[in-house]
Parts: sequence; C-alpha cells; structure tokens
Amino acid sequence: MLSQHAGNIRVLAGGTDLIPSMRQKLFEPRFVLDLRGIGELRGIYPQPDGGAEIGALTPLSAIERSSYLREHYPVLTEAAATVASPVIRNMGTIGGNICLDTRCLWYNQSLAWRKGCGFCIKKDGDLCHVAPGGSKCWAAFSGDTPPALLCLNAEIEVASANGMRRISLREFYPGDGINYRNLQSNELVTRVFLPAESAGYCGIYRKLRVRGSIDYPLAGVAVAMKRTSNGNGIGRVTEAHIALTAVNPAPVLVKSAGELLAGKNIDEALAEAVGDIAARTAKPLTTSALTPEYRREMIRVFTKRAILAAAQN
Amino acid sequence: MNNGFSIIGKRTAMVDAAEKTTGAGKYTDDISVSGMLIGKILHSPYPHARIRSIDTSRAEKLDGVIAVAIGKDAPNPFGILPVGHDEYPLALDKVRYVGDNVACVVATSEAIAEKALELIHVDYDVLPAYFDPEESMRAQADFIHENKPGNLEKDYHHIFGDPERGFSEADEIAEARFIAGEVTHAAMEPHSTLASFELDPHTGKTGRLTVWSSTQVPYYLQHKLSLVLEMPMQQIRVIKPLVGGGFGGKSEVIPLEIIAAIAARKAKAPVKITYTREEVFWAHRGRPRTIIDLKTAVKNDGRITAVKARVVQDGGAYCSYGVVTILYSGALLGALYDIPNIQYDGYRVLTNKPACGAMRGHGTVNVRFAFEVQLDELAARIAMDPAEIRKRNLLKPPCITVNGLRVQSYGLPECIEKTVKRSGWEQRKGKLLKGRGLGIACSHYVSGAANSIIRSDMPHSTVNIKIDRDGGVVVYTGASDIGQGSDTMVAQIAAETLGCSLARVRVIAADTDLTPIDLGSYSSRVTFMNGNATLRAANEVKKLIAAAAAKKMNYSPEELIFREDIVFKKGNPQPLPRKDDADEVEVTQAGASVSGHVEGQILRGSLQQKRKEEGPKEWMTFEEAVVAAIDFHGALTGTGSYAPPLEARGGKHKGGGVGPSPAYSYSAQVAEVSVDEETGEVAVHKVWAAHDCGRALNPVSVEGQIIGSVWMGMGQALTEEMVWKDGMLMNPGLLEYRSPSSIESPEIEPIIVESIDPEGPFGAKECSEGSLAATIPAIANAIYDAVGVRLHESPFTPERVLAALRAKKKEKALNLTEGVDPTSPKRFREHGGSLCFKGRGPARHALDPAHRQAPASAGGAD
Amino acid sequence: MSDLLATLFHRSMRIAHGLLMKKELIPLRVNGRTHELAIEPSALLLDVLRQELQLTGSKRGCDDSSCGACTVLVDGGAMLSCTLLAASCEGQEVTTIEGVSEHGSLAAIQKAYGDWGGAQCGYCTPGFVMTVKSLLAENPDPTEEDVRHALSSNLCRCTGYNQMYEAIRAAIAAEQEGIAAK
Repeated sequence: MLSQHAGNIRVLAGGTDLIPSMRQKLFEPRFVLDLRGIGELRGIYPQPDGGAEIGALTPLSAIERSSYLREHYPVLTEAAATVASPVIRNMGTIGGNICLDTRCLWYNQSLAWRKGCGFCIKKDGDLCHVAPGGSKCWAAFSGDTPPALLCLNAEIEVASANGMRRISLREFYPGDGINYRNLQSNELVTRVFLPAESAGYCGIYRKLRVRGSIDYPLAGVAVAMKRTSNGNGIGRVTEAHIALTAVNPAPVLVKSAGELLAGKNIDEALAEAVGDIAARTAKPLTTSALTPEYRREMIRVFTKRAILAAAQN
Repeated sequence: MNNGFSIIGKRTAMVDAAEKTTGAGKYTDDISVSGMLIGKILHSPYPHARIRSIDTSRAEKLDGVIAVAIGKDAPNPFGILPVGHDEYPLALDKVRYVGDNVACVVATSEAIAEKALELIHVDYDVLPAYFDPEESMRAQADFIHENKPGNLEKDYHHIFGDPERGFSEADEIAEARFIAGEVTHAAMEPHSTLASFELDPHTGKTGRLTVWSSTQVPYYLQHKLSLVLEMPMQQIRVIKPLVGGGFGGKSEVIPLEIIAAIAARKAKAPVKITYTREEVFWAHRGRPRTIIDLKTAVKNDGRITAVKARVVQDGGAYCSYGVVTILYSGALLGALYDIPNIQYDGYRVLTNKPACGAMRGHGTVNVRFAFEVQLDELAARIAMDPAEIRKRNLLKPPCITVNGLRVQSYGLPECIEKTVKRSGWEQRKGKLLKGRGLGIACSHYVSGAANSIIRSDMPHSTVNIKIDRDGGVVVYTGASDIGQGSDTMVAQIAAETLGCSLARVRVIAADTDLTPIDLGSYSSRVTFMNGNATLRAANEVKKLIAAAAAKKMNYSPEELIFREDIVFKKGNPQPLPRKDDADEVEVTQAGASVSGHVEGQILRGSLQQKRKEEGPKEWMTFEEAVVAAIDFHGALTGTGSYAPPLEARGGKHKGGGVGPSPAYSYSAQVAEVSVDEETGEVAVHKVWAAHDCGRALNPVSVEGQIIGSVWMGMGQALTEEMVWKDGMLMNPGLLEYRSPSSIESPEIEPIIVESIDPEGPFGAKECSEGSLAATIPAIANAIYDAVGVRLHESPFTPERVLAALRAKKKEKALNLTEGVDPTSPKRFREHGGSLCFKGRGPARHALDPAHRQAPASAGGAD
Repeated sequence: MSDLLATLFHRSMRIAHGLLMKKELIPLRVNGRTHELAIEPSALLLDVLRQELQLTGSKRGCDDSSCGACTVLVDGGAMLSCTLLAASCEGQEVTTIEGVSEHGSLAAIQKAYGDWGGAQCGYCTPGFVMTVKSLLAENPDPTEEDVRHALSSNLCRCTGYNQMYEAIRAAIAAEQEGIAAK
C-alpha cells in the first residue's frame, strides 16, 4: 500500500504534528496510514544484553515515566518529558518525534497566509524568506528526543514492503529542511534501539522555550556522559556526547565536544569552552520566535549548564 | 452575616456555573438550526490593493456551493464609532490589510466552502503599503483612506494647567521614549455568528432576521446590522448566547457578524460562520503598538509638578475604537495621582494591518507602563522609596482633576498600604538575593464611560423585573455576560434588594427582543450601570410588594424588612418560619420553597399558604407577600434605568467626553521576580494586587477578575506580542502567540479594598480592567530592583533583558535585538524585535494561481 | 514481522478507502453508549462529537493543537479530540464532558470549579475538567506541582489558573470526605 501510493500517503502515528499540518494544507495526502491501533509497535522492552528496544508508537508519556529508561537512559526520559504538553505527550510517539517535520514561521502557516507571502521553498514556492536568495531550506528540526537519541547512539528500524533495515540515527538526518530525513515514502520507522554500551550515562536535556509547556524547542541541548568513578563518585570524563536541536535543519551532534571533554575533570572553564563549540555548531535563523543570535547564545549557556549539571549527577 | 447583607458580599458560584462545567451551555458555534449552511470568508493576501474585479463564477459552479457574497451585496459602510464608519463587511474597491474580507462562500459543508474559496479569482492592483506609523504619517499619496491625509486617523492636543511652569519648578526631570508591543485578546472562543431570516407572513417575502453571535454588544450589533442591511432595527433580533471571553475583542461589530447576515440573505438559508483562530487574529481589535515619549517632573519632596506625553498608536487599517483609545491614553493620565499640569499630544495613525480596538484596560495600559516606570526612575533619583513617592501624590477626593475628571471614592491609599504590607515591602525591598527583586506600580480605570459613543440622552442601562404568583423573580437585562459574571451580579442585586433567595431569581439577558437596551459589556460599565438599573427596578417592585404586605400586616410599608424570603417588621427578630413548617415545606437545595397546588386553589402561593389566614400577620413569607401584592395591584413589574449624572460627564474641551466616568477603580501592586542573568529569562514568583472595587458584590468573582487582569498584564509584560513582517502577522495562532501556561503563571494574591462609592450599586465599582495596567510596570520595576536594568520596551523578552544586562555590564556585545537598546528604544519596528529579520525579505510573488500546484484532489475524481 | 506488515496493509486499505470521501459505518463508543456512525474516516473526533452526536461540550479553541479545549478521555487517557481521527477510536471508550456528571448530579470537580471561580467564561472549562479527571484517576492526591504540570496542557484566558488550584483542592477534599457520593 505504502509503495503503491508513495506520493499520496502520509503516515499518522500520534497525529500531533501531522493533523495540524494537514489543516494548514501543508499536506493534502489522498491516504493517511493511521498506525494508532497497532499494539505491536508500542512498548519499551529491556534487552538481555542490557540495551533497550522501544516501539515507534510508544507514547512519549510512557518514555517519560519508564523507570527503566530513567535509570539507564536518563537523557531520553528528560528530553521526552519536555515535549509540548502532558496531553500531547500522551498522544505523540517516539517515532513521530523522530520523524517530526522541520518547522519555520514561513512554512507552518495556513494556505491563505502562505499565499500572502508568495509561498516558500519548502512548500509550493521557490523563495526562502529566511535566507533570501538561497536555495537551501533552513526550516529547523524541532524534535526534543532526537538529540538525546543521538547522544545515546540509538539505531532505528525502518520497514517497508521490501523488508526491514536497521540504521544509526546519526545517519538519518541529512541536514536539509525539505528532505530532512533519509526515509523513502514507502518506508516506516518501526523501532528504536538503545545500545547496551550507552546505558548508564549521566544525561541532561535543556530546552529553551518561552512557556513552560506547549512550546516547541527554540533551542535544545542534550548531554550524555560517563565518568570514571573514584571513591567520591567524582571522576574524569571517559566519554561524552552533546547534541543540539531546533537550531539547524537537523538535530546535530557537536563533534569535537566529546574529544574536548574526554579524560578531563569538569570545571566551569571546560564547560564554558564546550559551550563555545556548541554555539559554533548551531546555525539558527529566523525560523521561530526569539532572535537567532539569542538562540545561539542560549546554546552556549545551556550547553555549559548541562555539562555542569551532568557533572553533579 | 456580613455588613447586614444576606447575598451581597457572599462568595457565590455563578448562576450559569453548572452549564459551563457540564458542557451543557451553548456558545454560538454550539447552536445549529435546521437547514443551516456554513460560510467561509476569502481574505486579502495583500496589505494594500485596489480590487479591479472579482470572478466568483467558478466557485458558484462547485457542487454544494449555494451562494457567494461580495462587497456589492451590501455596499454600506459601518464602524463602531459614529465618526469611524470606514469599514465594509466585504471589501468594495480596496483591501487594506492581509486578512481583509473580500468574499464569502456559503456551502453545505466547511470542506466544500474551503475548496470554493480557491476558485474565486480576484484581480488586484497592488498599492504601496504602510507598516510603520511614523512613516505612515509622512505619506504623501496612496492614503489608506482617501479622506485621511497623512494616514492620520485623529490627533488631539491638550494642555491642562501650565506644564512649562511645572517643569521649570521641578528638581528632577526624566524624559524618555517607551515602546509597548502589540497584543491581542485571544479569548478562548473564536468569534462565531449564526444568522437566520424568517419569511414574513404578510408579505410572503424575507422578513425578520435573528442573529446569534459571540458579542459583548448585542444592541450595537442590532444597530449596525440595520444600517448595513437597510432593515429597520425592530426587524432584527440579536441573541447573545454564552460568550467564551471577550476582553474587548467582541466589543464592537466584527465583520463576520454582518457577513453572516448578508450571506444568509443571499443564500436564502440560515448561515453560520465561525472564525478559525487565524481569522480571529486578523479580526484583532487588540491593543495597538504604542510609542510614548514621556517627560515627568518632580520636586525633591516627591511631588509631581508636570507631565508631558506624546503618544503615537499604530492603529491598523480602520478606525475601530481608535479615536476613543487615543483619548483615553491622555485622559487617564489624570484621576490616579494629583498632577497639576499635563500636556498631551496623541496621534492615532492608520497602517496596513488589522485594526486595533479596545482591549482590557482600553487606552490606559501602555501609557501607564511608561508613567509608572518613569516615576520609579524619578524616585530613585531623589532617593525616595517607590511606594512613598506614590503616596506623596495622592488626590484629595472628592475633587475634580485638572483635566475635568470627577473623583469621589478613592481607595488608592489603602491599596498601596495593603499591598506594601502583605508583600513585606518594607522588610524585603532591596534585601533580596541578587537577581531577585520587588517592584511596585499603581493603576486605575473607569467604571463605565460617562458619555456613550452614540450621543443621546437615553439611559445607558435599563432593566425590567417581573414577579408572578409563583414567587419567581425574572430579571430582564440587556447586560452581556461574557464570563465576567454579570448575570450573577444582576441576580445578586435583585435578590438582595427584594430580600429573596438567589434561587428565586432567573436572569434573562442580552436578547434584543426580550430585554431592554443596555450599551454592552465594555469600559467596565456593567456592574455600575446595569447594577444600578437592576437596583432601581428591584426597589420599584419592592415598593409595590411592601404596600400590599404592609396592609396585610397592619404596619406601614417603611417599617418592613425584606430578607431571606421573609417580610417582617423592623425591630422584630427575623422569624425562622421554616422550622414550623418543616414537615410540609419541601425546601430545595438552593433554599427556595416549592410552589403549587394548595387546598384546591391553583397558584394561590406556596405550601406555606396553609398557614391560617386569620387576622393581621406578624410576618409574611416572600411568596405570601407577592401574592398579596398581585391581588392588590395586578401585575407585579418594575423598571429601572441608569444614566451617569451630569456632574460626572467631564470637561468641555475637544475630546473631553472620553475619560470621565461616574467612578474610578484603583489598584496597587507589588511584583516579585527573579532574573536569570545569563539567559535574561524573567520569572514572576508572586504578585500582590490590591484593588479598590468599591464593594465586592461577589468576592469570588472580584478576586477572579483581579487575578485574571494581573495575569493578562503579565502576559503582555513577558510573553505576548504580535509580530509582523511587511504586514504579515507571523504568529496568528495560540502556539506562536504565547499566552502563558500554568507553568509560568505566578501566584497572584488578590486583596479587595472597599471604598464604598456613593453612586455605585451597594457602593460597587469596576473590578475587571483596572488591575491590568499596573502589572506591566510593577514587573518592569521589579526587574530593575533585581538586576538594575530599566526596560523601556515591552514585552520584556529574554533577549531584551539579556541585551540590557550585557550593555550594563559592558560585556561582549551580541546583536541580540537588532542593535536596538531595549532600555532606550528609538526606532519603531514592525516586528517588535522579538524576531530578527535581515533586510527587507524577498518581494512577494505576483500570485499567479498556476504557481501553486493544484491540490491533490481529495478524491473527487476517483 | 510479516504479520506486522500485513496488519499495516490491512489498516491502510481501510483508511485509504475512506479518504475517497466515502463514508463508512463506524461504531464509536462515547460515554458508555455505542453509536453506529456513517462518517468519513478522515473526520476528526471533535467534529464527529460536535456535529454528529451534538456533544458540543468539547470545544475548538485553536487550529494547532495547542489549547486543549477539546480534551476528552480515550480509554481513560486525556487526548485532544481535534487531533484524533474518529475512526481510529473504534474499539476504545471515549468520555466527553457530557459523560462526567454522574447520576444526574455535578461531579465534585464540576461543583468545585463553579464554587471557587475555576470557570469564568467557561469555554476552556470542559477541557480542563477532562484533564483534571485524568490526573486524579492516575494520582488521587497530587501535589500542587503535579496539578500545575497537568494543567499546562490547557490554556485559559480568564482565570490566570489560580482559582482552579483552589477548586481542585476542594474537589479532592470533597471526594475524600465522600461528599460527592451524597
């Protein structure tokens, strides 16, 4: 079915992103594949090797409340707990959050509105209002859980009529606002795998938002790190991952952050330095509220704070 | 029993609370009538354009489309103010903002109507557009309205006292520019109207029109419908069902209300139109972005010697309430403090954006923000406590201010005293941890305008009461309950006055066929004016009952007391009859006795009629008294009306009609905030808000109104702002227009102050708007106390606070706010600065319909 | 795994069929009653409740799933009925505000919202009541913080939320004292 109607079908998991977008006529599919009823893809399953498997249709509220995930993958539960509002987390799924469409003030508007601005490069038009003259779409990826999953080096299972494939989430986002994920239109994300090696990382997620609820992130930082344990529980960093969201067309890992942190004791200056690197990785544009300069600056501050908070754990 | 009242002053659930909590109550969009069709409006994609032609033929051919209405179907202008009839329900020849109304499709379903909108072809001639009021004022051609050169809707120039002398006598003078962002009501219920015509039995043609609408002003709607549709008012019935919040956004006639009627006439069937949330933002009528150039002078003893304000309001494309807004901004510089010399220059400017209108605290809020912040600065300069400087400038009522406002009751001193005490101001101010601070500010508001917008001598409110043999009291009031609780207020006043239980009172409200005229729910007039009319109507009926009851009891009518369903003689203890009759009288939960069939006599009165009717009675039940009165007089009805007294109607200067009110409410607030110095994020922890409402008729409602006002002020202070780019509203939804959620909403402690106004009903004044204006400066002043920066531009978004903090600390400059210093903004920016746009952005497309690929037909062809 | 794909295939057939605007008979269980409804499978639950079943207590306040005025319970969990396809609720129990007043009297939370000023204009109230119902079902004795977080799914423009906290506290107390049962 998916293959047959590849261009005309949208997949609906929780519906919290797709249905408002359909109302704005961002998508006018002839078919909606509603997955809500499929119980097989719902659930959190600890694996014998110490990892975990999460069905793509698992609601974000189940992830937020899972004591298993909280203990072993705290960065994920923390990120899941910040998505939108409690009711939306009841409906929204981890798979939907991973596949979330990129967002932009010039894009997430009604058809009548978009007519008024002459449409944009992401939908129906050939202009970018955010970076005039450019041909790249800068709509921002605004999911909260993917940066956490990137830090955990999660993998996802992709299914189609041809079978299954399993890829690293780090290869899933090409970084373009239009083709923002490597997913064919006849494919579905069905499962998320958290590797055993990533269990037990201290994790922190910090989200910039105007309201304490409802809002998409305007900038987000996930930090996961492991440290050697000396007697006091305070030790050097053995491994660290930092990922950002809402400031680029994809969730991105801050590449050199891990190298900079590895083998060191965390102090204010080190956290500060990593914050600077993170801020340089962020490329926010005027796709949402709050100025790009401010959002970039908050990436710096939030990264620093997240690292210091992770070090307290 | 508080203050000798049995109902007034008691915490009372609203009379319609159960309808609301069970979902049974009907709002306009919940109403359907048989044969009803759905209307959808086509809006302009251009901010300013001439319409060359409209071709609706393709839309009309679509299966399921019944009619398409355009401007020519009702080419009469309207507007809420008699001086501002500059709108057409559907554009005639010009569109003036993105979202302006062009055509209306009537179809059998919403989906078909939406599809048909796509098939209407409008040929536009695009004109230069104006988005910045200061630029707009300099325009030489292509005016938004041909009869408004320089796009100036209206300007006023007032001088009271001798401002120049006032400034020359001062010890300290502060002068600065303030800019307040644009905000909107965002009431939870999107506007909705259902219009239905009847066929006239005599002519056989289209006859009476009934309109159900989410409105604060059913009688104005009736009037404007009559004007535009060229129908006599008596042929139009407007019914206001439950209204899901107004805040001013429904206080004038909104285009859809007339479009629905035009569409129903054309479609020859009932039509309902409900706005999408985006359309609500386009209908707008909110608080305009305002530039305030303010100069204030004080002596070293804290006394204000002069104030000079120049105010420019970015009014949008139509007049709306604009002339009133710009006058309130000047007039309400008076009546809060004693200011001897005032100069005011106000400019209401047209721009190509949705019209601004009245919003909670109409006209006063942005100027009050500027004034209270500047007063704080002056207090700091003369080293005086900010609470003290406010106390040094109190009025001495009863008095008439320099700009002609009469002040009688004045609870401001008590408001300041109580809010200072409760907040621990004296012990805590300046002693909190770094990053945490307290700020104080005051505000006030009218209890209804003393002069109505339509000049006439008619009363502003009239109320009828009917009591029948069942002992039920029916109050017919034109007051429009929009959630503030006016139906409950009317019921309480009627019940208290008549000495009957609340459960006896049924309120029939806001239906132009049934209820006498009332101007509507705006300018906080309802409790004062409709409350007084209710009081008078109830007293009139009570006199009739008393005369009859007195006869039966052999007392004089003046000796009687009506209380809690009993009529008894003054001086006697209040009888407790129900104990005697407990076996026979079934008492309902609400305390009313049951009427019915007694001793073969239908409708003789209540079961209590069983009491032997021998000789004069010591006391009577309310029902016995009512029955006696009906036997004696016949029908038992009463009418009361209210018009503000002449002495309250203000000065004679041009524009002097706006600002005067029979009474003013007062508020003093202390806000406690903390500021994250690294992120600029501001958290409001608590607001103590004392409000002088004259008398709290229903404390639950008064507190609810105070809290709601403070909360809405907090939204304007921190998170809410309409953001524009070249006339496009960038945040036309509740996701991006950020009305606060419960998480960041602070605890608000309402403190009721009762100054007992000599003219208010039971001494009551307004309580729903006056508190809003103080919250914004209280938060601004608290931010200063916390981290030492004074923001002159609202809202106080984190990037503005951070920019101010970095500038203060002389840290590495980041271009957080487009180079604008939020502590001294100069330029007006259409987008306010919450968004940063580089350059002017790309030009719009010539909107070739072929450019957009045809939507995948939703199955039509298959 | 092939079972899964088969399920997907089956399901997509149904929905796809429906999006050709042909109505389907769908049994929907609302407030304990089953209704056989001929609806387009693309119809949103909110529209079906309001237009087909005349259950107008659930409101539409926004178009971007942000306001919560349409909140209902689906199998006891709070959900936005404006963001759910009605057809996908087949086999589940939907509870709307109209299903809350038990045995013909106000539920404790409804009474308390009225008494304490939790409702002003009342438009958001049904959504809030449903949110509170789901909170209390999960957590009968929530802290102030729990309540504040739960309420953050819904927007109110009148009350500033303060009086709702009092109402919820009162409702919990009333439930605990068993007043509601009388």
